[in-house]
Amino acid sequence: MSDAAASAPPAARTAASSPVAEAWRTLRRRPDTVIAAVVLLFFAVMAAFPRLFTSTSPRTCPIREARTAPQGWGGDHPLGTDALGCDVLATLVHGVRPSLLLAVVVVGISLLIGVTLGLLAGYYLGWVDYLVSRAVEVFLVVPLLLAALLVLSLFKGVDLGAGTFNVILLPAVVLILFGWMPYARYVRASTLEAKNLDYVTAARSLGASDVRIMTRHVLPNAIGTVTALLPTSVAGVISAEAVLSFLGIGVRPPATSWGIQIEQGSQWVLGGAPHILLAPLACLVATVLALVVLGDALRDALDPRLAA
Amino acid sequence: MRQARIATFAAGAAAVALTVAGCSPSDTDDDAGPVTLETWISQDMDTLFPGDAGSYDPISVLDVVYDGLVRYDPETTEPYNYVAESIEPNDDNTVWTITIKPDLTFQNGEPVDAAAFARSWNYTADGDNGLYSNYFFSIIEGYDEMQPETDDDGNITAPGAADELSGVEVTDDLTLEVTLSSPFAGFATMLGYTGFFPIAQECLDDVEKCSTQPIGNGPFRVTEWQQSQELTAERWEDYPLEETPGYDAIHWTEYAAGETASWADFQADEIDLSFPPTAEVEAAKNDPELSQRYVEAPGAALTYLGFSLYTDGPWQDVEFRKAISMAIDREGIISSLGSGQATPADSWVVPGGVPGGEAGTCEWCVYDPEAAKAALEQAGGWPEGEKLQISLGDDDAEVEYFTAIGNSIEEVLGIPYELDILPSSDYFSTRSAQGFDGAFRNNWFPDYPLNENYLSFYAAGSEEDSQFGWYSEEFEDKLDEAAAAPSLDESVALYQEAEQILAEEFPTIPFRWSFSATYYSERLDNVVLNPFSGAPILRAIEITA
Amino acid sequence: MGRYILRRAVQAVGTLLLVMLLLHLLTTVAIQLNGNPAQAFFGDKVATPAQIAAVEERFDLDDPCYDQVGNPCLGPFVERLGQYAQGDFGTNLRGREVADIVATAAPNTLRLFCIVLVTWLALGMVLGSVAARWRGSAGDHGIRLTSVLIDAFPVFVLLIVYRYVVAVPLHGWAEDTFGADSWPPYWFKPSFDPDHPWATVLVPGILLGLAGSAAFIRLVRASQLESYQGDHVRTARSKGLVERHVVVHHVVRNSSVPVVTAVGLTFAEALGGAVITEGLMNIYGMGGVLWGAVRDDDVSLVLGVVTLLAAVTVVVMIVVDIAYALLDPRIRYE
Repeated sequence: MSDAAASAPPAARTAASSPVAEAWRTLRRRPDTVIAAVVLLFFAVMAAFPRLFTSTSPRTCPIREARTAPQGWGGDHPLGTDALGCDVLATLVHGVRPSLLLAVVVVGISLLIGVTLGLLAGYYLGWVDYLVSRAVEVFLVVPLLLAALLVLSLFKGVDLGAGTFNVILLPAVVLILFGWMPYARYVRASTLEAKNLDYVTAARSLGASDVRIMTRHVLPNAIGTVTALLPTSVAGVISAEAVLSFLGIGVRPPATSWGIQIEQGSQWVLGGAPHILLAPLACLVATVLALVVLGDALRDALDPRLAA
Repeated sequence: MRQARIATFAAGAAAVALTVAGCSPSDTDDDAGPVTLETWISQDMDTLFPGDAGSYDPISVLDVVYDGLVRYDPETTEPYNYVAESIEPNDDNTVWTITIKPDLTFQNGEPVDAAAFARSWNYTADGDNGLYSNYFFSIIEGYDEMQPETDDDGNITAPGAADELSGVEVTDDLTLEVTLSSPFAGFATMLGYTGFFPIAQECLDDVEKCSTQPIGNGPFRVTEWQQSQELTAERWEDYPLEETPGYDAIHWTEYAAGETASWADFQADEIDLSFPPTAEVEAAKNDPELSQRYVEAPGAALTYLGFSLYTDGPWQDVEFRKAISMAIDREGIISSLGSGQATPADSWVVPGGVPGGEAGTCEWCVYDPEAAKAALEQAGGWPEGEKLQISLGDDDAEVEYFTAIGNSIEEVLGIPYELDILPSSDYFSTRSAQGFDGAFRNNWFPDYPLNENYLSFYAAGSEEDSQFGWYSEEFEDKLDEAAAAPSLDESVALYQEAEQILAEEFPTIPFRWSFSATYYSERLDNVVLNPFSGAPILRAIEITA
Repeated sequence: MGRYILRRAVQAVGTLLLVMLLLHLLTTVAIQLNGNPAQAFFGDKVATPAQIAAVEERFDLDDPCYDQVGNPCLGPFVERLGQYAQGDFGTNLRGREVADIVATAAPNTLRLFCIVLVTWLALGMVLGSVAARWRGSAGDHGIRLTSVLIDAFPVFVLLIVYRYVVAVPLHGWAEDTFGADSWPPYWFKPSFDPDHPWATVLVPGILLGLAGSAAFIRLVRASQLESYQGDHVRTARSKGLVERHVVVHHVVRNSSVPVVTAVGLTFAEALGGAVITEGLMNIYGMGGVLWGAVRDDDVSLVLGVVTLLAAVTVVVMIVVDIAYALLDPRIRYE
């Protein structure tokens, strides 16, 4: 709910002209960035190789063992069991993949759509711009959550199978459908700015094709600001997934994700089993925190004028 | 659904009156302002029109706003005459003569007479009005002529030919003669249901207004309804009958998430009656002070699993259905998820709650992993690589229960499962269109306390019309035989035999009975739950503040 | 300026119609795919075709196009637009006037939004300005860390913990300390009370505002940092103006432009938070109404409510545009 504000300054800043290497050097010098990167790497490994972290299956849920308190390392249930008797650690470890995959897929595809449309609109103006701007407006007016509700309830009855990708497909489609607009706005604004820069005019007068000008000269200029947005957007999608799960329209049980775990755990926070909530919540907060820190650092690195 | 309430009211009231007189002299009651009972209902209540009110909330409100011909004994759930002076059937239970007590009026002064009942029944039975309780009247002669005609696509081609039930005849001011389309010994039991309440002519003249500002004949008048937020009813001073409580008003706060959402307000002393969310049930039970103010009663709603017997699959084999049933750890699931706020079901009719209800009629409703595996073996096992689809509506608590059921089946039988969660409109239409493939959740809350009500919906007439794809000629014959029995007792016994047929053919798997419990505030006394609906009997409550 | 507003207004009406059409199509397809809402009216009861048909007619669902998947159902849509034009917003699936529902629910949500907005602006402007003014200080880092933490913490967890852990004891304490008839007990009432709407919506509003304020803090900080480096600030300083004057007149004023824009955009997003807050605190508001309407495939309610919301959002966007011009002298409209 909060990135729209963060991601919509009135006009895009001109991307820093400093080379990537410079940015990398700045990044490395900041300890918070390094910690954030380590945290993300940890969860990425967990998503890729869940078996490294637990040998218990998240689908083995003897109901009579429900809400066992955490037993510490070495116990059968290091982080205890949840309300259905499933091992919390196993669910957590296996829940990383859908959560992260959803975030990456959503941000990636929204970015692609947003950049393409923004670039075309800013470059050609005229009717293309008119169409894109109207589309942006329409999608901005419909609140994301309402749209999510509609679309998700629309396809709720559709059977997609149970693979990791199928499980996240519906939330992904919705979040993409209503998540590409900020990128389009940004890129359109920076394209407008970059289009009239001297070297672009020069390239055009030398007879470069539109595609070449767009990809070689305009895009690199416009992409800087958008890149800085990415970590924050990923964080936003992870949080959004938790909210959708809370409303019962996210990933479908018995498949699992952090959002579902938090939703189920939040009921038990007072019922003598706070660990069901705290474990996934800690992971979610850590990941989001790491991503935002990284995003801040990236923005500062790409836009030296703002560096602290 | 039916509101059976108060029963031993006279005796109870006398006892309470003595107690109250002993501890708090009535002349100390100098607090200004009326004594108001604070309670809750769910936010989705849309109407208070008797013929259109089919769910728990409007029924519990209407129970104090209207009086029916009969009310129900809270101990036995059996009906006793209330507005009716007498209800007499003829020899074969087809013609019922109902006489009404004299000199009763509605809250607007209109008389409560035979015409008041006839006008209400005719309006609700008229299919063109599309009211919820319409189907109750299908038992009365002349119902069919009042229903609109439809083409094959379900579009109305012509409105119903008649506007009045030919089977309802007002013979004099206070006498009704009702002719049924087929014999039914339990007709009197139906008459306390909200759909059979009388309505005033003023109500019929403006049904829309009457839906939000009812003109009742009961002890309370609805004075203000801010729809979706709160509802207030004040005591009707001129109430002529005896079942009316000692306090002055009832204030219902509407909660979007239902009863458990009111728990925080209960703890803050803003609400008099409530029950905690699952996670807090333990804490409430262990609170020595709070547990003194607790009542519980078994509920009458059955949650059960059906199978798509209309599609091909292992579930066609009765042994497979037995295996699934015995693989479900009802005790474990209910004690863990509901903190014991439900009862494992082993019958199709609620035991003890209604005439003819007995526990244990379902032989295979016991958790027995070994027997379950053996039964699966006998049924030929489960096809490799397939998943058992379990369909249900999108209710969070139910999703949790059915995840646990699926886990239990998967653990015992090794059958992987998948939940197919549908929006409720989709769920209901898919079910009636025979569109599932696998198992699906069902829930039944009976309309009136008679075992017949738990069984008759299995009799669809053919396999195509049954929501389970199940048809048994033997079963349907038995139901007909029971309905035609000369007395209610014989009829009940024959319905029990019909339940036996169900138990043998095993088309559905009982899972759990609802369970009602309520905590109440310190100032309340004599809080009794209706054993049938589980709602606190508002008319019996004493406020001792 | 007048012509600009007129053009924006015409554009806005176009956007509105598009939004309505989009939603109409989505809900129609939902009905076509999900099955008829009339069936849900009967719940667990098995209804005959005649009963269903009668209920369909009663709730205006009897147009055959609702049974044909892929049919855009433009007939009912146009009919509905005509009714809207005459001020008739129809009824929901249970026969209750949409106008009545909105009239009850909208004020509660607006109250919530007011408090959310005030919380955003207060926290955002104060903390953001402090962080920008003393950039790089411990305070700056503290504020940034806090804002990130707020961002990462799901708002529903915050509300659940407040309602079940904090509110009840606080309410009891306030009643003991200030008496049952004073205001403080109402501030901490665990649920909304329609008789005291402002008092009981205060704390939920602040919590929801708190949860969304992180983005604002960052935004204000970033745009003020930019202003501090701007030429006009340098000029003002070199003219020897007092630092406070520079900060108030040149930095804060300039940085309010993006903030105002963000308020407009976030308005629609805040509705998401409203669904959760209203649900948990039992506030009867637009978020909850919409949520229920969508779940029940209640076309007329969804469209009625969304039309209203979209209209408000569009108006807010236009107001934002105008405020923009007033705040930033560099922006001119042709």
